[in-house]
Amino acid sequence: MTWLSVAKKDFRDAVQSRALWALVAVFVVLSIVSTYAYVEVPEMFGSPTGATFGGLLFFTIGLVGLFVPLAAIVVCYKSLAGERELGSIKLLLSLPTTRGQVFAGKVLGRAAVLAFGLGVGLVVGLGFGAALLGELEAVAVLVFVLVTLAFAAVYAAIVVSISATTGSTSRATTLALGFFVVFELLWDVVPMGVLYVVEGFSFPSTIPDWVFTVTQLSPSSAYFSTIVALLPDLAETVGADPAQTGAGVEVSAADAGPFYASPEIGIVVLALWLLVPLAVGYVRFNSADL
Amino acid sequence: MAAIELEGLTKRFGDVVAVDGIDLTIREGEIFGFLGPNGAGKSTTIDILLDFIRPTDGTATVLGHDAQTAGQTVRSRTGVLPDGYHVYDRLTGRQHVEFAIEMKGVDEDATALLERVRIADAADRKAGGYSKGMRQRLVLAMALVGDPDLLVLDEPSTGLDPNGAREMREIIREENDRGTTVFFSSHVMEQVEAVCDRVAIINRGKLVAVDTIDGLRDSTEVGETLYVYVTELDEGVLERVRELEGVGTASIDDGRLRVTVDGVSKFAVLHAVDRVASVQDFSVVESSLEDLFVRYTNEKQEVEA
Repeated sequence: MTWLSVAKKDFRDAVQSRALWALVAVFVVLSIVSTYAYVEVPEMFGSPTGATFGGLLFFTIGLVGLFVPLAAIVVCYKSLAGERELGSIKLLLSLPTTRGQVFAGKVLGRAAVLAFGLGVGLVVGLGFGAALLGELEAVAVLVFVLVTLAFAAVYAAIVVSISATTGSTSRATTLALGFFVVFELLWDVVPMGVLYVVEGFSFPSTIPDWVFTVTQLSPSSAYFSTIVALLPDLAETVGADPAQTGAGVEVSAADAGPFYASPEIGIVVLALWLLVPLAVGYVRFNSADL
Repeated sequence: MAAIELEGLTKRFGDVVAVDGIDLTIREGEIFGFLGPNGAGKSTTIDILLDFIRPTDGTATVLGHDAQTAGQTVRSRTGVLPDGYHVYDRLTGRQHVEFAIEMKGVDEDATALLERVRIADAADRKAGGYSKGMRQRLVLAMALVGDPDLLVLDEPSTGLDPNGAREMREIIREENDRGTTVFFSSHVMEQVEAVCDRVAIINRGKLVAVDTIDGLRDSTEVGETLYVYVTELDEGVLERVRELEGVGTASIDDGRLRVTVDGVSKFAVLHAVDRVASVQDFSVVESSLEDLFVRYTNEKQEVEA
């Protein structure tokens, strides 16, 4: 059970990071400003029929999809690489524990820190929106918050795992930022690039279903699709299309296509983003000379 | 049962052989000093005992368990002061010790431990603001949690002033009196000489000596050295002194006669010297482990070179 002690200590330590609180402050301010903007001029944010609470939720997803990866990098990139670089890992591993327990504790502790910061921002932002709109959809909020916290945990696992592969914080930073650039910033382009290559260096007239699946490989797209899958009614009323992040690839979520082209694929992808990095990070960390 | 047993322990980092086939047995209940110059392989060996790094070849058995496969069991009975560690800057001294108590699953009083290492007054300050000596004391307090059967201390006196180093030795002795085996490394001979039952000297990854302090002294024939001021000192006097009975070596050192005593009392030698050239003043230097150490490590290097 030492992983729990590690997680608690790690939480206590990381929660005192000024960078984290600066980020939470930015997120809170951003969510207040954008919530206010959405409520005042919903037409600008894709809700021509007027501001609704459901619309606000889907609008917030975009914000979270950007905030969580960045916050995860700030909170987690040093989690293991930093301890190895400084040598505090020796203090930790001198105690009767195992590397697996330390790794698990780190993931848990940092996920808790991230969820805590995110929770503060969400409560303030959504509370403010609910007050402005005078309505609150309890079930939708619950689903949204749970999926969002799960998304935060997945990102914590990804970045802690990246941090576990190296003993240098500068390398961990490079890898984590590289991950962000490839999977979050450039991912819109990647599926089209893959399609272009697969089709013999030309674009086909119709976009095949698997392209949608490739777009879903980005963690934040998978997060968006997961919410669409779990809140289909709400998604329909606000016209949310999980492929909207996919560079204009027109695949409707409502169409009963093959499974890999339905929004449920997002849940699978999120689960994979949790398990695969954890496995790689653990194996690398467990075999390293510290 | 041996507290620590190393068999053919080898660790290579690329082309560099940090530890080269070490065989060593540390008995239960002894205070064992692990000596060597910086970079000799001391920390690498200790890091293998704690499973921070994995050996290329050979095995390390600690308290009857394999250090690599049963590391958690080993460390549940071992208190560690590692080398090159870093404290958690944002946590207080008390939080550090409480964390060690929690991790070891024991019920102990953090304040009492901090008092024992004399940093109780700084218990609620963040460890990031501690001096090097205070950090060393803090980590020692963490090592003492749970009354371990074995203490592994890597350069324990680093950052401590002479008083602190003496207190560290006292704690080592106290723990040893309670039956704890102590294994510590140092490049400061004085530390080792003062407390150790046995020592091993490591140089360039290889053991060059394992013995008691007295045993080491005897085997290297370094006895007492006399520095004698005589009224007249020249080559002729030196020649005659060299032929005296009981004189090992004689040389002129900074205007003094330097004479090593061999097999007789130093008074006999002094009297004999006095008959050659009248003695004005003298001083006696007993060979320290420092001399032994320099001799061991330098000689070996010269042989290799």
